[in-house]
Amino acid sequence: MSHSQRSDIFLLDAERTTWHDETLWFVRQKRDKAVYALPEFQDLRELASQIKNHTLSKLDHYLVQFEEAATRNGVQVHWAADAAEHNAIVLGLIRKHNATRVVKSKSMLTEECHLNPHLIKNGIEVIDTDLGERIIQMREEAPSHVVLPAIHLKKEDVGDTFHIHLGTTKGNNDPQQLTEAARQHLREKFLAGEVAISGVNFAIAETGSVVVCTNEGNADLGVNLAKVHIACMGMEKLIPRLSDLSVFTRVLTRSATGQPVTTYTSHFTKPAPGKEMHIVIVDNGRTKQLGRPDFRASLKCIRCGACMNTCPVYRRSGGHSYDFTIPGPIGAILSPNIDMRKHASLPFASTLCGSCTDVCPVKIDIHTQLYKWRQVLAAEGEIPASKKWSMRLLSSVLSRPGMYGLGGKMARQGLRFLPHGLTHAKGYNPWAIARELPEPPKQSFREWYEQQQKVK
Amino acid sequence: MSNSREKILAAVKANQPEELPLPDVPAFTGDGSLEKFTTILEGIGGKVVPIRGITHLDVVVQELFPTDERVASTLMASSVLVDAQTPIEVLAAVDIAVLQGEFGVAENGTIWLPEANMLNRALPMITQHLVLVLDHKQIVPTMHQAYAKLGSVGDYGIFLAGPSKTADIEQSLVIGAHGARSLTVLLV
Repeated sequence: MSHSQRSDIFLLDAERTTWHDETLWFVRQKRDKAVYALPEFQDLRELASQIKNHTLSKLDHYLVQFEEAATRNGVQVHWAADAAEHNAIVLGLIRKHNATRVVKSKSMLTEECHLNPHLIKNGIEVIDTDLGERIIQMREEAPSHVVLPAIHLKKEDVGDTFHIHLGTTKGNNDPQQLTEAARQHLREKFLAGEVAISGVNFAIAETGSVVVCTNEGNADLGVNLAKVHIACMGMEKLIPRLSDLSVFTRVLTRSATGQPVTTYTSHFTKPAPGKEMHIVIVDNGRTKQLGRPDFRASLKCIRCGACMNTCPVYRRSGGHSYDFTIPGPIGAILSPNIDMRKHASLPFASTLCGSCTDVCPVKIDIHTQLYKWRQVLAAEGEIPASKKWSMRLLSSVLSRPGMYGLGGKMARQGLRFLPHGLTHAKGYNPWAIARELPEPPKQSFREWYEQQQKVK
Repeated sequence: MSNSREKILAAVKANQPEELPLPDVPAFTGDGSLEKFTTILEGIGGKVVPIRGITHLDVVVQELFPTDERVASTLMASSVLVDAQTPIEVLAAVDIAVLQGEFGVAENGTIWLPEANMLNRALPMITQHLVLVLDHKQIVPTMHQAYAKLGSVGDYGIFLAGPSKTADIEQSLVIGAHGARSLTVLLV
């Protein structure tokens, strides 16, 4: 299925689509309020962008520096070329400790690697501890947003899910009470957790520390109660200096939700005495993306989700319509690198309005990359036949002025005399599915211009 | 595994662009007042209470939490003794943790809490309520001054801004997700 076909499913429920659209727009407005309150915000964006550009240009150096510093801190560093190796390393560490109970805080990387199914298949209980992620884990769904994983659900859905899985009263849809039920349920899991897995927001090359940002405190609670902490990170999470965090902590949450900062900004440098800390550095296609000059800037992403909240297509099609771990505009430029054929429709899931680029806190040229991916996909023959042939036809018409003039005349006449059912047939004119074609003008601009010249 | 390391590093070296400059980050400053800090922290669900000094901290805590009994603290008499080795069951029963915050950041209401002030790394999260004592003179304007002041983040440390919270159910803000249900800052 293509993005537009999956969007059709989401759009069946008009009321929910409207709610989704308005809710994410509200988050975008909160972002604006937070951003406008900071006079230096644009300077911070530029700095964040330059720091990331620099880091990517010396990534080999910073990876080694980070590894050396972390190792000095008593942290064990592992390298995974792909998802399978990442999953094998994590499972190996869990097995080494004879553990079966794992608590995991938010990590888009482990989603990307499909770690949970791998662990479960091997007899490990893995519990997602972020509330939104726990909800979708119970429902066996994928996250639909990088920051708001359950944004596609209404409180009634959560009430039903908790009724089934946590035994809350049927029809209890009160967010406060549902959160309390999840708190009690997850406390048990935290206390029993033997290994804690976390994602990484930032990895500091000079200190070997990893920084994890949450509002719920679930990463810290899980990590500090378990014997073993495994932090999983994509190699693009590096920043050179501790002081660079001042830039990134200032732009991350303001861009994401409009908060001034996350509740917990936690710096993990050394394991507690008697405990273990591991960091798994994952490539999984990132070095390939680094080698694509037009697309490498996508590796600057700090996963704030601002491009999703602002995107008119994402807001009205939902995260699941992208069928990729990272949805929205940024997902549409990351996904073709992973599997061009499977994700060929995603760069077309955009109006190219550029709003994603405008809000991106690290200045990724998202809409330009969307446009460039379309060129690559067309050259690779990965666009649908209808699009391919209609574009060829259009190009041959537009390159011949006579043909263009004749075509315009025929269209103006046709629209006047052909029956509405034919000109607006949904089968071959998808534009007219929810729109009326405009009244055809009597003459073209060229005809009008020639007429004016004669009058003179 | 080491094979992957070499492979990844070689691919990075081959694919990364020409070196681009690392910018100097100017120390953007701003309103570093206690009023700003208080307004922001209260806006994100924290409570700020000025007190005269820490000699009668037990009385203040008793007044704030009249029904809670199990207190762990570095600053006042504790009813639960907590250190790095404290078993999980004991930690899980703590009602209130009273700890020293190092300094606050006015722009976002966050407070630096290093491991040395925590008694146990899990305590600030596992306690039902968290109380941080903060010197009212220890406020910096922005995160730039905050990281400059820190120099090192130590083995483990948190910038903490308010109580644990979530908006994962239909974007409704709920205070008290998994960590402390409330954060009270006692300003001395």
